[in-house]
Amino acid sequence: MLETIEQTKQQFLLDLSQSDTLDKLEQLRIAYLARSGRIAALFEGLKSASVADKPVLGKSLNELRSFAQSQFEARKSELDGASKPKETSIDLTLPGRPRPIGTKHPVMQSMEEMKRIFVSMGFSIASGPEIESDYYNFGALNFPPDHPARDMQDTFFISKDVLLRTHTSPVQIRVMEKQKPPVRVIMPGRVYRNEAISARSLVMFYQIEGLYVDKGVTFSELKGTLVSFAKQFYGSNSKYRFRPSFFPFTEPSAEMDITCYICSGKGCRVCKYSGWLEIVGSGMVHPNVLKNVGYDPELYTGFAFGFGVERPTILRHGIDDIRLLYENDVRFLRQF
Amino acid sequence: MKISHSWLQKYVDFKFQPHEMVEGLTMLGLEVESFEDLAKKYDRFVVGEVIERAKHPNADRLTLCKVNSGKEVQEIVCGAPNVAAGQKVAVALVGATIPHNQHDPDGNPFVLERAKIRGVESNGMICSAFELGLGEDSSGIIVLDSGAMAGTPLAKYLGQTDVIYEIGITPNRADCLSHIGIAREVGLLSEKKVRIPRVRLKESTTPSARQAKIMIEDKDGCPRYSARVLRNVKIEPSPKWLQDLLTSVGIRPINNVVDVTNYVLMETGQPLHAFDYDKLADHTIVVKRAKSGEKFTTLDGKERTLNAETLMICDAQRPVAIAGVMGGGNSEITNGTTNILIESAFFDPSSIRKTSKYLGLSTEASYRFERGTDIGITTYAADRAAQMIQELTGAEVLKGALDARGRKQKELKIKLRVSRTNRVLGTGLTKIQIKDFLSKVGIISKSLAKDVLETLVPTYRIDVGQEIDLIEEVARVYGYNNIETKTISSIDFSNSVFADRVETDVRNYFSNAGFNEMVANSLQDAATAALPGLPTVKMLNPVSVEMSTMRTSLVPGALQIVRHNRNHGNKYLRLFELGKVYSVGKSTSAESLEGFREEDRLLILMSGKPVTAGTGIQPHETDILDLKGEVEAFLAKVCLDKYRFISYDTRSALTDSTISIEINGLGAGVLGRVKGELTTKFDIDDPVFVCELALEILSKGMQSARRYVPLPKFPSVTRDLAFVVDGSVTQQSLEQTIRESGKPLLASVVLFDEYRDDRIGAGKKSLAYALEFQSQDHTLTDRESDQLITRIVDAARNECGAVLRS
Repeated sequence: MLETIEQTKQQFLLDLSQSDTLDKLEQLRIAYLARSGRIAALFEGLKSASVADKPVLGKSLNELRSFAQSQFEARKSELDGASKPKETSIDLTLPGRPRPIGTKHPVMQSMEEMKRIFVSMGFSIASGPEIESDYYNFGALNFPPDHPARDMQDTFFISKDVLLRTHTSPVQIRVMEKQKPPVRVIMPGRVYRNEAISARSLVMFYQIEGLYVDKGVTFSELKGTLVSFAKQFYGSNSKYRFRPSFFPFTEPSAEMDITCYICSGKGCRVCKYSGWLEIVGSGMVHPNVLKNVGYDPELYTGFAFGFGVERPTILRHGIDDIRLLYENDVRFLRQF
Repeated sequence: MKISHSWLQKYVDFKFQPHEMVEGLTMLGLEVESFEDLAKKYDRFVVGEVIERAKHPNADRLTLCKVNSGKEVQEIVCGAPNVAAGQKVAVALVGATIPHNQHDPDGNPFVLERAKIRGVESNGMICSAFELGLGEDSSGIIVLDSGAMAGTPLAKYLGQTDVIYEIGITPNRADCLSHIGIAREVGLLSEKKVRIPRVRLKESTTPSARQAKIMIEDKDGCPRYSARVLRNVKIEPSPKWLQDLLTSVGIRPINNVVDVTNYVLMETGQPLHAFDYDKLADHTIVVKRAKSGEKFTTLDGKERTLNAETLMICDAQRPVAIAGVMGGGNSEITNGTTNILIESAFFDPSSIRKTSKYLGLSTEASYRFERGTDIGITTYAADRAAQMIQELTGAEVLKGALDARGRKQKELKIKLRVSRTNRVLGTGLTKIQIKDFLSKVGIISKSLAKDVLETLVPTYRIDVGQEIDLIEEVARVYGYNNIETKTISSIDFSNSVFADRVETDVRNYFSNAGFNEMVANSLQDAATAALPGLPTVKMLNPVSVEMSTMRTSLVPGALQIVRHNRNHGNKYLRLFELGKVYSVGKSTSAESLEGFREEDRLLILMSGKPVTAGTGIQPHETDILDLKGEVEAFLAKVCLDKYRFISYDTRSALTDSTISIEINGLGAGVLGRVKGELTTKFDIDDPVFVCELALEILSKGMQSARRYVPLPKFPSVTRDLAFVVDGSVTQQSLEQTIRESGKPLLASVVLFDEYRDDRIGAGKKSLAYALEFQSQDHTLTDRESDQLITRIVDAARNECGAVLRS
C-alpha cells in the first residue's frame, strides 16, 4: 500500500507539471483531490488494512493529501496570475511617500548625552531659576562684595539685587539649602553673560553644573569623576590634565584640559596652538560655601564642577560659528 | 598681562625655552595665553648697506639700489625718497613677513616675495619704521646707525631678542601681577632662588620728614602710605633700554620719572605715583574721602565727578589725585619739574574697586590695588624708584622714607592640619612633605603638634587667608596631576534622577514625529516681548535694544525664526521648542525668585506647504486641523483621555481661531492661528499655526503606569451612519450626543466624512460616522444593534436636529 501511495504522488507530480492551463488543472483536481478522486479512493482502501498498519498508512496518506493540495494551490495561483492582464507595473524607483524627519537640537543632544553619563554615575538632576538674586549668584558662592572676581562674569542686572544668573552654580546653594548630605546632583540650565556676541561667544548659553558633597569626598575623586565623564563623552583615547585655576566657590580650584581632538594635540586654531582644550572648571567646594548653607565643613567635603554645552557641541559637529546654533535655520537643524 | 622673558632673568636663573615656560606656568595656574618671540618676528630681516643708488629704468619715482646684505649684494627696487648710497638700512629678504603693509588700509602683515617691479626684479625690500612696526613714519625708509654691520640680524641690531608672554592672571593671584611675582613661580619651577634687587641709596643729609608731611585721615581706606622726596630731578626722556623694556610689556614711555615709576610697578607690582613736590601746598599729603559731587580733573584732562566714597590724595588745600586710580593734572610731573614726591601706598582693595567702577576708570594702578597689593613693600618700592631716578638724573634723595601707617599690620599665622590636607585632596602626604611644599612658595611653617603646622604667610600672598588656601598651595606644588585619580565608590541612586523626564519624553516624541527642535533666545526687544500683553522683565544694562527684555511667550521668538527661515527659502516648517518664559508677578513655582514667574513651556509650530506629499497625494497648505491632529496624537499618547479641546469663545493675544486645551481639567494652553496682523508684522505671508502648552500641567497629566484594559472576548458590530445637520451644529456636539445615547455598548465613534453640498440642502452639512458596538459578556444580536441605532438616531434628531441620510 505504501508503494501505491508513493506511485500516486509521482503520478500526481507528473500530471501537475503538464497542467499548464486552469482547465487542465481543474481536471487534475477532480482526478486526485475530489471526493471521488484517487486520493479519496486510497483512503477507502485504508479501511481494509490491518490494525497494525493503519497508523503508518494513515499518516502517509494524510501527508500525500496535504502535499497534493498545497501543490495544486501553488500552481493555481501561478496560473491565475498569468491569466489576468498585467497591472500597470509600479516604478519601484519612485520615492516612498515621505514622512517628515524631525531632529533634536544639537545642543540638546549633547545635553542629553552628558546627563545620561552623569546619571549613570549616580548623579540626580536638579534645576533652579534663571532670574536670580545677587546672593545666590555671588554672595553665597563666596564672591565678596566689590571683588574683581565678579568681573569674571559680566552680569545682566534686573534690579540692584536681581540678575540673570551668570552660571548654574546658584543651584548648588539651592539644592544644599533644601537637602542634607549626601548630595550628588547635576544642574543643567541656561545662563547669561553680558558680552559682545561673536563667532565664539553668545549672550545666552547652556551650562551643566555638578556637585557632590558627603563625608570623605576628595580632590582625587573629583578627578576620577571628571576623567570618567570625559572618557565617555570625548572618547577613551583622549589625554587629560588638571591645572590650578581660580573660582571663589571652590578651593583648590582646577581646570581640566583634554588633548585637542581637532588636531590630536599637535596645535591648531581651535586650541589656540596649545594642543589642549579647556573643558571643565572645577574644585573642592570652599568651606565658606558649605558654611553658608549650614553644612559643617569639618564633617563634610565636596567637589563641584561646571562646563558649557555649546563648545563641545560645535567641536563635535565641526560647526565653525557658534551663532548658527541659535539662528534655528531648518537647513541647519535638519542636519543633526 | 605681558611678561618679558629677559626681564625675568634679572631675578632668577632659568634655562627654559618659551614652550617650557608656557607648559610650566600654565600647570601652576598661571595660564600663558600666547607668547611672542620678537626674534622670530624679524626672521629674514637684516641690516643692509646701500652700495649704489640708481634710477629705475622704467619709473621716475622708483630707484634701483644695490644693497649688501652681508652674504651677498642684492638688487632691490625702492620707492622711498630718502634712500641714499652709504646708508645702513633695514632689509627684508624674500620670505620675510612684513609686520605692516603700508598700502593696506588696515596695515595687515604680508609675506615678501621675489617680484618684478616695473620690469625689474627686486630681491627684497628696504623698510620704513611703519612697515617694521617700530613707529608711525611711513614717509621714507628707516636709516640705521652708520656703525651697524651689514648682515647683522635686524632683531639683534634692534635689541629685540626677547620673548613676551601674555599671561592670564586669575583675580586671586594679585601677587603675580609683576615680574618679581612671576619670577617667584619660575623659581618654583626651576628650583632656583629668586634674587630681589638690593637697594642702596645715597641719601643727602636733609631729612625728608622736615620737608614733607603725610596725614592719613581715612585709616580704613589707606592702611599704609610711604613716600620719598627727591630734589633736583631733571625731567627728560628715558634711556633707550628703559623705553624699549617698557614698550615690550605694553607701556608707553613718557619721561624718566614716570618711566621709573612704571618700571618699578612692572617689577614689584607696587603702583607708584610721582607728584611735583612744589605743586603740593604746604608739602603735605592728606588721605581722605571726597565730598559727594566734588569735581576733579585727572591727568588725562577729563573732569570727573566724585562721590563720598572716593578716596582722595590731597595737599593742604585741595585734592591732587584719586587714590589708587589716577593722579591729577594740577600736580603732575612736567618738563619744568625739579622736585618730586614719590607715593607708594597700600589702599583698601574694595574702596579702590568701588571708585574705579563708579568712575568707569581702570588703570594699571587701580587694577592692582583692587586685587590687593603687598603692604609689606611700600617703602622698598619707593626706595627702588628713588635709587633709579638718582642713577638716571643724579637727583638728591632726601634722608629717610616717609612711612605713615593707618593701622598696625599683623603677621598672618594660619594652622594647617596634615590630616585635613589629605582628607580634602585624597592624598597621603606627610608633614615633612607638606612643610617642604609650602616652603617652596615662601610659606614658612613650624610643627605645632603631631598633626598641626603653624604657617607664616608672606604679605604678598593676600589670597592665602585660611587653612583651605594652604591646602590649595600644597596641591599646586605637589602637582594636580600627581594626585591619584579615583572613582566614586559608593553609589546611591536618588529617586529624583528623572526630574527632567517630561522634557526628554516630549523631545523624543516630537523629534520622532517629524518636528525640528529649535532653541530661541530668551532675550528680545521690548516691543516683541510685550506682544503677549504680560508685564515684562527688563534688563538694567542690556547688551543691545534687541535683547533688552525677557520673553513672556515662546510664540514671538518663534515668529522671528519663521521669518529668518522664510527669508532663506524654508517655507514648510514643523518646529518645536522647550523653553522658559518669564514675567513679573507672583511666583508660582519653587523655581522662581520672589516677584518673578518662570514657567516651562512647549511650543509646537506648523506653517507652509510641503514640496511633495508623495506620489498620488496632493500636498496641501498647512491648516489648523493639521496642527490639531499632531497635538491630539501627542496628547493621546502621553495623557490618554485626560485632555479636552475647548473650541469656543477663547480669547488670546496672539492667535485667532483659538482652541483651549485642558488637561485633567486645568488650562494647559492654546492652539490656534497666529493673528494676521502679527504674521504681517513679521513679514510672513503664509498662516502660521502654533500650540503653546504649560509643561508643568502637561507633566502632571502624563500617564506613566498605564492600566491594562482587557481585550474584548466577543466580536464587535460596526455600522456607518450619515446625518444631515444645520451648518451651525458642531461636529463635537453631534458626536457627544451619539456617545451619550449609545452608552454603554457603543465602544467607539469616528467621524469619517464631512461635506457641504446644495443637494443636501442650503446651509446644511453631512457628517458621517463609523460606530462600533461591543459587549463584554455576549455577542450582540442584530436586534440589539438595531435598537441602539434607533436610540442614537432619535437622540440626534431631538438634540441636534440631525436627519439620517438615506
